[in-house]
Amino acid sequence: MPEDPTTGAAVFAPSGKVVALPQVGATQDRDHLTWAYQTHVTAIYQYIYSRVGNRPDAEDLTAQVFMKAITGMRNDVSVPELRSWLYRVAQTTLADHWREYYAEDAGELEDDVTRSPAPRENPEAVLRVDSLLATLPESYRRVLELRFLRGYSVRETAQELNLSETNVKVLQFRALNRAGRERGRAT
Amino acid sequence: MNDDPEQLDKHVEDLLQDRRPERTPLGDEAALRARQTAAMLRAAKPGAGLPSKEFLERMQGSIQGWVGERSARPEPTARPSRRTLLLTGVAGIAAGVAATVGIDRLAKSPTPPNNQALVQNNGSWKPVKALADLPEGEPVAFRSGAIEGFLIRQGQEVKGISAVCTHMGCILNYSKFRKQIECPCHGATFQTDGQPSDQYNSPLPPLPSLNVRIQRGQVEVYTV
Repeated sequence: MPEDPTTGAAVFAPSGKVVALPQVGATQDRDHLTWAYQTHVTAIYQYIYSRVGNRPDAEDLTAQVFMKAITGMRNDVSVPELRSWLYRVAQTTLADHWREYYAEDAGELEDDVTRSPAPRENPEAVLRVDSLLATLPESYRRVLELRFLRGYSVRETAQELNLSETNVKVLQFRALNRAGRERGRAT
Repeated sequence: MNDDPEQLDKHVEDLLQDRRPERTPLGDEAALRARQTAAMLRAAKPGAGLPSKEFLERMQGSIQGWVGERSARPEPTARPSRRTLLLTGVAGIAAGVAATVGIDRLAKSPTPPNNQALVQNNGSWKPVKALADLPEGEPVAFRSGAIEGFLIRQGQEVKGISAVCTHMGCILNYSKFRKQIECPCHGATFQTDGQPSDQYNSPLPPLPSLNVRIQRGQVEVYTV
């Protein structure tokens, strides 16, 4: 067994795989239904995290998704139905989130709403990031890799790239805007 | 409001510190896209994006409570608005329900019927491996349809068990060195017959079995 099972989830992230729940028959009793929902928490959390990028929002939105999903769904749901229902609720909850906090109307901006989510969301997210970065000019790719994937501070990034901190922020700004346009084009 | 590098960097810094970013109305679509892209990049960092153990435990309790409430009211009810949820405070509800839930209670949390196979009907037999490719006594992982499982060969027979952890639903791995099935998320371990190693205060439910048959040297699993 792993050295320290009490360490928590984050440590295992690279090898931690997303839930892909096996099919079971129609869920009939309450305990079974509870179990079916519970086994989807990690997958829905990861799905949401890869769209909001921070823990407090991801936790709040995940809790909202499950509360809404459970309240709005009948009790005799099958597991595949339950899974796709959870992702649908997650998508609308995310669209609401963007709309409410950042924009007048973000409905059409949530490019993933119609996409059927992959059962293994996070490895897929990593692939999507790789292919997105590949579309960018070298300097843009470099600043995003240092800041996001390696977690460099602005100062460390400035030293690495031999730029001023202000220039790093400008470069990061241009890179994120360019990458945002590329994402829009891809969808 | 116009976006600028300082403002965007503040948002990025919040994400990198796993803080909730300030909610600022954004002037245009580009500014929103830049932030959505930042979130996607943030989540791709190694180690990011898995829920904490505390949060998972809280959610286990909350879900139990919500399903209980839902079952008590069989008629479909109007979904609560996002506003209502925010006002009542989902986190508060979650914390309240979960306060009494520890890992020992989680271990007793609901499970599928253990004595039954995972897929009972509406499925079909799918070939997944050749019998000759399976080593004796060593679990081999496979995925077919919605099923993730292990096949364990015992002579001319093959047994199938689910590869989804009965703790929190992560996909399990088999360690050849430790000769046990291990969960990458919280360290739960199972023997190759699907029985949990006694690790939590009370043991986890065993891994459900799968229907397996051998047809002309091919191992087939009943799946959907």
